[in-house]
Amino acid sequence: MASSDLDLLQGTLDLLILKALTWGPKHGYGVASWVRDTTDDTLNVEEGALYTALHRMEQRGWLEAEWGVSENNRRAKFYQLTTQGRKQLRLQTARWTEYAGAVFKVLRTA
Amino acid sequence: MARIPGLRRLMRVERGSAGIARAVDDELRFHFEMTVRELMNSGMNPDEARREAERRFGDVQRTRRRLAEIDRARIDQQRRAEWWSGFAQDLRYALRGLRLKPGFAIGVVATLGLGIGANAAMFSIVDRLLFRPPSYLNAPDRAARFYFGRTFRGKENIQSYTGYRPFLDVRENTTSFDAMTPFYVNKLAIGLGEATKEMNVAVSGADLWRMFDVKPVIGRFFTAAEDTPPDGTPVAVISYGFWQTQFAGRNDALGEKIDIGPQKYTIIGVAPKDFTGFSPEQVIAFIPISPQMAAGGWGTRGRQKWYATYGMTWLEVFARRKPTVTREAAEADLTRAYQLSYKKSLVDNPGRQPFDITRPRAIVGPILHDAGPNKGSDAKVATWLAGVTAIVLLIACANVANLLLARALRRRREIALRVALGISRSRLLMQLVTESLVLAFFGGLAGLAIAQWGGGAMRAVLLGDTLTGSSAIVDVRLIVAVAILATAAGLLSGFAPAFTAVRADVASALKAGSREGVMQRSRLRRVLLVAQAALSVVLLVGAGLFVRSLMNVRNVRLGYDADRIAWVGLDMRGVKLDTIQNAQLRDQLLATSRTLPGVEHASRGLTVPFWMTWDLDLYVAGIDSVSKLGDFTLQAGNPEFFSTMGTRIVRGRGFSTTDVSNAPLVMVVGESMAKKLWPNEDALGKCVRVNEDTMPCTTVVGIAEDVRRGSISETEMHYYLPIAQFHPQDGGVFVRTRGPAESQVEAVRRSLQKLMPGASYVTVTPMSAIIAPVVRSWRLGAIMFAIFGALALVLAAIGLYSVIAYNVTQRTHEMGVRVALGAQVRDVVSLIVREGLRVVLPGVLLGSLIALAAGRWVAPLLFEVSPKDPPVLIAVVVTLTLTAIVASLAPALRAARVDPNEALRAD
Repeated sequence: MASSDLDLLQGTLDLLILKALTWGPKHGYGVASWVRDTTDDTLNVEEGALYTALHRMEQRGWLEAEWGVSENNRRAKFYQLTTQGRKQLRLQTARWTEYAGAVFKVLRTA
Repeated sequence: MARIPGLRRLMRVERGSAGIARAVDDELRFHFEMTVRELMNSGMNPDEARREAERRFGDVQRTRRRLAEIDRARIDQQRRAEWWSGFAQDLRYALRGLRLKPGFAIGVVATLGLGIGANAAMFSIVDRLLFRPPSYLNAPDRAARFYFGRTFRGKENIQSYTGYRPFLDVRENTTSFDAMTPFYVNKLAIGLGEATKEMNVAVSGADLWRMFDVKPVIGRFFTAAEDTPPDGTPVAVISYGFWQTQFAGRNDALGEKIDIGPQKYTIIGVAPKDFTGFSPEQVIAFIPISPQMAAGGWGTRGRQKWYATYGMTWLEVFARRKPTVTREAAEADLTRAYQLSYKKSLVDNPGRQPFDITRPRAIVGPILHDAGPNKGSDAKVATWLAGVTAIVLLIACANVANLLLARALRRRREIALRVALGISRSRLLMQLVTESLVLAFFGGLAGLAIAQWGGGAMRAVLLGDTLTGSSAIVDVRLIVAVAILATAAGLLSGFAPAFTAVRADVASALKAGSREGVMQRSRLRRVLLVAQAALSVVLLVGAGLFVRSLMNVRNVRLGYDADRIAWVGLDMRGVKLDTIQNAQLRDQLLATSRTLPGVEHASRGLTVPFWMTWDLDLYVAGIDSVSKLGDFTLQAGNPEFFSTMGTRIVRGRGFSTTDVSNAPLVMVVGESMAKKLWPNEDALGKCVRVNEDTMPCTTVVGIAEDVRRGSISETEMHYYLPIAQFHPQDGGVFVRTRGPAESQVEAVRRSLQKLMPGASYVTVTPMSAIIAPVVRSWRLGAIMFAIFGALALVLAAIGLYSVIAYNVTQRTHEMGVRVALGAQVRDVVSLIVREGLRVVLPGVLLGSLIALAAGRWVAPLLFEVSPKDPPVLIAVVVTLTLTAIVASLAPALRAARVDPNEALRAD
């Protein structure tokens, strides 16, 4: 994967993960399936990158992790948003909307 | 979830490195299992499903490593944050605790402040004496001061002073040094007329500028060409301070002429701020050695010029080793060159000691005088005092430890409760130590304030004018030293109490009333008190010994009345007088000073005690070589000389008005000289030939009491000649004033200055000022030891008082019982006081033993006092015992006044 795609993806990926977790704690697999289901597989998210993002966001204090038990009684690591994470979500949503709006505007005038 | 067994273990954060990797693997394994199961549910076979899962995931190994890395960083970060927040919490807790007990906090901070402050002030002095290189010095580790050793009468004499000719010899014949310069500081007259003032001027060669990392502020430094004998060029580099005060920092100061000593110098540059060369004192200008020596008249008076003679000694040599040469190699090289030089000097002066007896050698010594082989007794005393202040700090720490311990005992229920509630003991220990560190921090601040405020005064007492000019007292080196001291003090005083408090048994502490369990735990406090008492004894014994030394020094009969005498010295500038005019001028000064109302007697004199000596070859019938019997120094004076100085004539007569130049030659000899030359015989009437054995007889007409003029501790073999018969054109005038000499100095100077021709001037110095530096080390020892000893005593008394008072409050119940059973006030008081003495007396005993053992180290610094001086020891023991009694008396009286009804009901 080209690094320019990765950069684009990373910012987007963070946003997707934050969004995924607004509906409550999820484990990594849960986040991955949520992203796939919601985007109807249009965004091809590499799962290794997804986990890297999860851990990095945990380090930044946006997420909090806790070992728990999954639906099928397996031990799994659950992530949930912290206050700081919620703030990030608001911030990045606003930024993304603004960015997308600007790009659209350019595309329409062209 | 809470119902699931083992959940706590599962949810535990994995912290170790292996734990982190395992957690990552667990997480990923779960992910793969879930993905594979989902793919199989949608109809793939297991192999296909695994491949698809791996494809979706990407590089598994890389991601694994990456995740572990991120987690590790996160956990480190977390741990640091936890530590800091714990520390911040401890800090807040400590500050709150101290705010609640301001009296306790102030007491501790003041105690530590005094201890740290005393140490800081001493550090700043010892640092300057022994450690800190001169500012701007380039390569301080390779810079050196030269010392020269010569054996004389079986004893090696090591001197840093030498002459210009030996300097030239060693510069020419060594290869180990890349820079070498003579250097000395002279007090020279600056300016003209009424404004004339004597100020320090540094005299050196041009290599001086290469040994420092300095650039002129304006202008330039002088060059080797301007310092070429015989005359050089009279140019001067002025100091930054002088430039600011005299020329208001103007650039046109360059090219101005300035009067330095007898000559005008052209200002060619300004040295950087605070640059003093190798001088510990401030100087106002730097001049080359050649013009200074040429103008001093030294070029014309002797047989040989100043740069050619081996007979003059007035400068020190500083040099820088080449980077590739070791100190030892440089020293061998220098010694070779110096020995060569000595052999050459023997050709010039065959009268000097032969080479094999002198065994000359050279030392490449440290730059700082007091770190070298010739360190003064001031430096030794200062080093001792640094040790003393360390003891004061130890006592202060013991006191603080005591206070903290008492506090810990008072809080032991609170602490036990917190332990019971689950705080870890190490955390608690941290908290208590943090508290003492906070106290030490404030103590350090107080110490810095004390050092700044008291350090200047201390420096003035300790070092006189030597270092008063140098920069501020509080600087980076001092702050670092104080930080180290404060931390050490905090840990030292905080650790034992904190440890005791934490170790306490929770259950018993919670169960116990406020009384129990105290006695055995105060053992540590007793040990601290014993140590304090012992250290106080050591300091007080030191104080006593130095005070006795100072008293002995003061009481020593010098052979003249130092307090009433002043010396009038002449500095000739810009006029050339012949022998007769010189004699006339001095006689005029003498006559005028006799007319002054403040002057009782006056006499001409040739030499000044402690400043200079003059000796001549003497020949006495029946004695092979007089000089082998020792050094005989001379003085010359008028008939009034002995009444002026207060020197008693023991037998025979002093000089009379008839002892003039064409009359028979006469002399007065000191008692010990008379005894040395004519043991078992009467010296009166004996014949001494002065200078040459062909000279006519000088007849001994009187015997005077002995004088001390080279050292306080020894009398000198000394003789007197009438000045009318010996060098009437030289020397100055001694005046004996009515009342202390200091008060008359200015009046005498003003009256006599009017007689001086041209730019010449007189200086008037009270004898007491000449003696002050000689007596200083004892004065210094007496003052500082007394101050620190008193400080130690007060601290120890406070410590004892607080412990006894604390014990008494703890034993209120017991006292109540005693009083109820009929104990009298006297019984209770003596019980408590005896308890105080039981603690102090072992300390006194221990301290006395230490003082006796340490005595031989301090003995060389004392004056006619044995380090085992019984009166001092007895006085100290009595003082400490009395202090102990007084300190325990107040709590004892309180205990005796206990109301038995209340005391028994209370607990």
